[in-house]
Order: sequence, then C-alpha cells, then structure tokens
Amino acid sequence: MARTGTQWRTRPNLPLTHYVDPRVYTDRSIFEEEREKILEKTWAIVCHESEAPNAYDFRRCQHMSGKELLVVRGKDMKIRVFYNQCPHRGNVLAYEPSGNARRITCIFHLWSFDTKGNCVEITREKEGFQDRLSRKDVGLREVRSETDMGGFVWVNVDDDCGPLDAFLGDSTEFLRGELTAAPLEIMCYHKAIVPTNYKLWHDTNRDLYHEFLHRQNRLIAMGQPGYLDRRYHLHVHGHVTADPSVNSYENIEKGSGVERRMGWPGGESALHKLCNLFPTVTYNMRPPALRIDTMVPLGPEETIVEFRGLGVKGDSPEERRERLRDYNSFWGPFGRNLPEDFIAIVGQSIGLNHGRGSPYILHGREEETPHSEVCIRHYFAEWSRMMGRTAADPFGELPAVAAE
Amino acid sequence: MTTTGTATREPRGEPTGSGFESLAEREKAVRELVARTCLTMDAYDFAGYLDLCHPDFRYTITTYSPELRKDITWLDHDFAGMETLLEVLPLHASDHFLRLVMSRHLGVYTVAYSENDTRAAVVSGLQVFNTARDGGVTELLAVAKYHDVVALEGGEAKLLVREVRLDTRMLGETGSLIPF
Ligand code: FES
Ligand SMILES: [Fe+2]
Repeated sequence: MARTGTQWRTRPNLPLTHYVDPRVYTDRSIFEEEREKILEKTWAIVCHESEAPNAYDFRRCQHMSGKELLVVRGKDMKIRVFYNQCPHRGNVLAYEPSGNARRITCIFHLWSFDTKGNCVEITREKEGFQDRLSRKDVGLREVRSETDMGGFVWVNVDDDCGPLDAFLGDSTEFLRGELTAAPLEIMCYHKAIVPTNYKLWHDTNRDLYHEFLHRQNRLIAMGQPGYLDRRYHLHVHGHVTADPSVNSYENIEKGSGVERRMGWPGGESALHKLCNLFPTVTYNMRPPALRIDTMVPLGPEETIVEFRGLGVKGDSPEERRERLRDYNSFWGPFGRNLPEDFIAIVGQSIGLNHGRGSPYILHGREEETPHSEVCIRHYFAEWSRMMGRTAADPFGELPAVAAE
Repeated sequence: MTTTGTATREPRGEPTGSGFESLAEREKAVRELVARTCLTMDAYDFAGYLDLCHPDFRYTITTYSPELRKDITWLDHDFAGMETLLEVLPLHASDHFLRLVMSRHLGVYTVAYSENDTRAAVVSGLQVFNTARDGGVTELLAVAKYHDVVALEGGEAKLLVREVRLDTRMLGETGSLIPF
C-alpha cells in the first residue's frame, strides 16, 4: 500500500540499531566530527610497499583523514611516512604521485630533507636565522606507520594510537594464508571521485545482499550450493568478515576474461574472501587477484575511492597478464562489476537529496545468512561508540524513544 | 577545374596490391573504417562494430600510471572475447544504458601503409563525451588516442588491432562498462 507523507516519515517499528538517519551520510557537522573522532584516530592503508620498491623511492598518498602524506623508502629499506609538507611555509614537498630521490627538496626555497625526515639543508641558513633556528628544529612530521597484512602501508595520524594488531584483532586471521604465503605486488591502481558519502561505499562492500545487483556474482556465486549457509563474523572495532563463498566459473561466458581458474598461493582458487575493516578499508580476495579498497572522504557527499589490484611478486609475465585480465574484467574501470556498484551508490545519494530525501536508511534484515544486514549494524555500533551519537537519532531528537 | 567525369577521381593510378581501385579509394576505406567503429559503438550497434573487425582482432585499453610508474592494461580481448563482452553488456546495469549517452569524437592524425600494402597503421585522437539523457548536459569523459592497425585485403578494410591509449585515468563517477 502506498503511503502518505506522514506515513512515509514515520520511523519503522524496529530498534534504533536497525536504521540510520540520512543526515549521518550528508550532514557537514557530522562529517567534520567524524574526521576528528574517527578518521584522525584510526588505522588505514595508504599504499602497498611495492609502490615504493627501491631505496629512495617515494609515493605521494592521502590518508583518509585528508592529510597529504609522503611514503618514503630509506637507504635502510625501511618505509617511513611523513606529512608531504615543507616545514618552512607549508608547500607540498612531492608534487608527482611517485618517484625516486636521495634528497627530498622543496621547490620553493630549496630546503632539503633526507629519507629519515631530517632537514639537511636550509638555503642561506646562517644569514637568515643566525643561531635562532637550525636544521634540527625543522625536520619533517613523521606519522605512525606499520607495514603489515600483506605488505600494506598502514597509517594512523594520531601519535597516541594503539598498535595496528590491536586495532585489527582477529579480523584478518582467515586471510593470513593468502597474505603470508608469498610477497604481494601491486598490479594496477585507479581511483574515482564520487559524489557520495564514504560510508555508502563501505556499506555496499560489507553487504552481500547487494550481490543481486551484479550479473557476474549471480553467475559465479549466488546459485552455488551452500551460498546461503554462510554467516557473518563480527570482530573488534566494527570489523566484519563473512564465511568465504565458493565461486564456480562454469556459468560465466567463455572468452569474457573471467572463466579461468588460476589460484593464489596459500589459498583455494574457488574461495572468495571478504574482510571489511572499519572505517574505510576492504580486502577482497578472489583468486587470482586481490583487490583493496581505500577511501579519502573529501566532504559529506564527496569521496575518493581508490582501488588496488595485487598479484604475487615473482609472477611470470603470463601469470601476471592472467591475474590482471581477470581482475580488470570484474574490477577495473572498464570492468563488469565495479561500475554497477558506483551506479547504485550514486543513485542512493541522489535519493538522499542532501538529507532531505529518504527519511531513514534501513539496515534491518536479520537472518543467519550472508543477506543479514548485521554487517552494517556492526559498523554503526562502532561509529556510535566513537562519535557518542546514535546513528538513528544523531541529533537526539527522539527523547521519548532514546529514554526507553 | 572540372567537377564531373573521371577527372575528379585522381590520383587514379594503378589498382593497389590490397585490391583497392586506387590509392584514394584505399585511403577513404581506412578513414571510413576508423570512423565507423565510433559510429557503430555510439549507436550501441555492437554487431555492426564486430562486422568492421578482422577475425584476428585484438583490442586493448592501456594507460601509463604515474602512481606505479608503469603501463597498465585495463581491457584485453581477442575477437571472441570482444564478441562475448558486447553480447553480455546489455545484461548489466550501466550508466550508459540508464543515464548517459556516450559519443566518440575522432580525428585521424596519421595513416602509414606497410610496404606490401596489406596493413595501415592509423593514429587518431579520441575524445569521449557523456550526454545526460535527462536535460542533455554534456561532459568530457576521456581523452585518448587510438593506435590502430587496419588489415587491407581483397579491396576491404578491417580493424585488426586497436589499442586505446588513455590519457584520462579517472573515468567519470562510475567507470565505463562500454569500451571506447
Ligand atoms: S616552503 Fe619549502 S622551502 Fe620554503
Ligand atoms: Fe558490489
């Protein structure tokens, strides 16, 4: 039965945990608070170590907090991460996305830094600063980083944060075989700037109910025996995994680039494993390739989504070509899966109409299958904890219900 | 200058080794072929597009990634792969079926013929535009070059190799299900 305006706006008869106020996805003040309370306090991947494979390589990256970063591999082969910012007058140090440099020299007044972040030259130092300021006072700002879980460079811009493994807990345990059997290597990278909230992308990554959207998923996964017998597993800090799906490529069109069955060291070729890490990272292991999603939220309704395709270091050219071909046929910018997700979340954003559209977003499915929306509820439980707000009532407008 | 009769068909010359009546006919066939690949794809006439392709067709979309400092291949198909892809595309959700109309704008830069006259290497500039079905606003989606090899056999031109070499790497909001 179609509903009147009043009925349309009436909240569902479900617990507050089971739906979200749309302003959580669109409100500027909530977004700024998320930056401060979540994005600047949490670990996230900024790149893979193979993006700076050699001594003196650097990679310019953005952290989800919005901070401009410079990932540098030193002469000692250790990776360090700094703000990509000159301590003199704040110019960015690296303009190009990646490169190799023994010294990092700011183009503006030619101050130079080594790969450990020490300032090694201030042009006309004595003449300008006499003894009032010296090189040791103007080193680069180094941030907490750890290279782990498959060689990814993780960054937390909060100096006082706990270690990465405490943050991850046991959430990545079921991928340990795939991530440790052989070193990984970046195969491809692309990004998109999408007019949507970052949480909508992450919701979609978590949510296996949306596999109905994808023809390829319907063909390789949804009809397989045992598909619905899988469960979500909830981990610390809002992370979630699902039992792997067993993919069969029998039904996929021959010659489409995805019919092959190449595997992955330390894993089974038919198993597709998803690991979603609060607030922005997804590991998507579908042999023969690993996909990693990361995000840089630019505003409540603007997000950079980055995609990395990983293969195995030491792949032969033929193996690499096949991994890449399979990856791109699903997940490249010309793939058959990824553009569909984008259409749906951009469509959601149109529907949200800057918070004035849909009165609430439902995450209310409860079932012991991968179509339960507990995966998203678990995210918002962590979100609510860190924000000190209820996602269904972020501005405390429901005193009667909240008091219950 | 006469405007009628055979005088306008210069340089007529001898028939070409690849079976065209003249060099001018050969040149026209090559240029038209490249243009028709755009017109058929713009019209989602996938069968028409495949008719223009050689059975040994190889299609790739490549770019250089400054992030990784290496070339990347985003799509790589032979004739059968391309045929399969184009067959199943309409079964997918795509912005280009729902919201947008894609149009390819082409300028042929250079045409170079092989010595035995059976191949032409063609480099063209390509711009791909999206026009919204609702309201009709047009936006540039991508800038690229086609590096094509055209097979010339029996007086017919067929597309043998196409490398779409992209300058643009961020492809709108959603990427593109439909190849360029
Ligand atoms: S801003 Fe970098 S040297 Fe002046
Ligand atoms: Fe999806």
